[in-house]
Amino acid sequence: MSMKNYVVETIRKAQMVQLLAAGKRLDERALDQPRELKVETGVIPKANGSARVTLGNTEVIAGVKVATGIPFPDTPDKGILMVNGEILPMSSPYAEAGPPSPEAIELARVVDRGVRESKMIALEDLSLIPGKTVISVFCDFNVMNVDGNLFDAVSYAVVAALKTAKMKKFKVKDDKVEVTEEVVPVPVKKTPVSVTFARIGERLVVDPSAEEEASMDMRITITTEDGGNVCATQKGEASTITPTQVLEAADIAIRVGKDIRARILEATK
Amino acid sequence: MIERRQVIPGDVIAKGNYRYGSYIEKRGEEYVALRVGLAEVGRDGIKLNPLTGPYLPRADDEVIGKVVDVNGFGWVVDINSCFDGFLPASFVFGREFSPSTHDLSSKFKVGDIIGTRIESFERSRDPQLSIRGQGYGKIDSGEIVKISPTKVPRLIGKRGAIINLISERTGAEVKVGQNGVVVVSGTPEGITKAVKAIRTVEEEAHAADLTTKVEGVLGGE
Repeated sequence: MSMKNYVVETIRKAQMVQLLAAGKRLDERALDQPRELKVETGVIPKANGSARVTLGNTEVIAGVKVATGIPFPDTPDKGILMVNGEILPMSSPYAEAGPPSPEAIELARVVDRGVRESKMIALEDLSLIPGKTVISVFCDFNVMNVDGNLFDAVSYAVVAALKTAKMKKFKVKDDKVEVTEEVVPVPVKKTPVSVTFARIGERLVVDPSAEEEASMDMRITITTEDGGNVCATQKGEASTITPTQVLEAADIAIRVGKDIRARILEATK
Repeated sequence: MIERRQVIPGDVIAKGNYRYGSYIEKRGEEYVALRVGLAEVGRDGIKLNPLTGPYLPRADDEVIGKVVDVNGFGWVVDINSCFDGFLPASFVFGREFSPSTHDLSSKFKVGDIIGTRIESFERSRDPQLSIRGQGYGKIDSGEIVKISPTKVPRLIGKRGAIINLISERTGAEVKVGQNGVVVVSGTPEGITKAVKAIRTVEEEAHAADLTTKVEGVLGGE
């Protein structure tokens, strides 16, 4: 996706900046208020786990597939986790078919980092025969509709899909891996929650809409885990951010993330 | 009162000899609807107002567009259609225009809202725009409201009845493009009220007593 083609009307942007100076937004949200979040799980019957998330008008579907695989040489006794996805051409007038755009690659990497660095999946529990066979967890997402802040919407969908994922239990017998009929949950330990900010002028806004994204100077995504610790961040766009604002953003991310985590936990119970 | 009837594609609207507008096809003696909409059979011909659909450019339509690109020869303008409009620089600077001496961005920048007229359009090329004439050009302030292009005639009303009503009661200036883009300017209260009235028109476009409903939203004065 390249939202670079999306142009915000000059007079609309002026209105946005004027409202922001007074602490208001075009869609009447507070600066630190995300849009309405809906999480639905088990939407794909044949997947090991799945979720559909809508954040305002942004919509994402994620699915989990569990299989066995060969471990990476540097982590012979750890399972494999992969988060990938694409932005469907139907999701936005600015999304195109074909190989993923740099924006789509960044999206998948930032979401992957949030899941990986929070130690959400206990990868050490996914080892079967060290150096030879491990369990691999693939999480794929598809963006169905774009209305800003894909980072958070995709992150919530991936986390919800992983939290509800179930797999057949694998057993090692005589150095061979066997699949049993017993169904167990994928070993999930934490619930990482990402919160994305856009800086427009001097103001930071949580969960930017498409309009706000097209007018922003800088973007920062902060992922926190259950204890309120920051576990991953990503800064985007050309402009800069002051250290004070980074700390301010982190505080908001922890506070807002707590509410969102409660929502995700409720939906994945 | 002209009779309005709901039709779906394939419905026969009338038989005989009439003048007919867009979205209608003549098959022998029968006039067949091509869209879902409201059909009107009047003395001077039959018309079909589709309920939904994109804006299809027509020559001489007044539209409000957004500049999305500037190149050496003119501006690419988003006119809320499946086609991008093109405003050639020579239409703005005159015949002496030369890409080396004139700075196009000094006139219109990316993101600017401009009132334009469709100069010409045929399907093999993108619609050509022009700002020649009074009242066209850059719009500097106001709030942008988008409505379905099929509802523009209702918003304007008979000889501008509804649009004038909104302007009078709110003191706001309302510019309507045939492409469904509306720019409202005035006092903040006036704008809020006018936008609410425009939304009402969009939601209640099918209602027969639209003027009364809009008056209700605007309140007495």
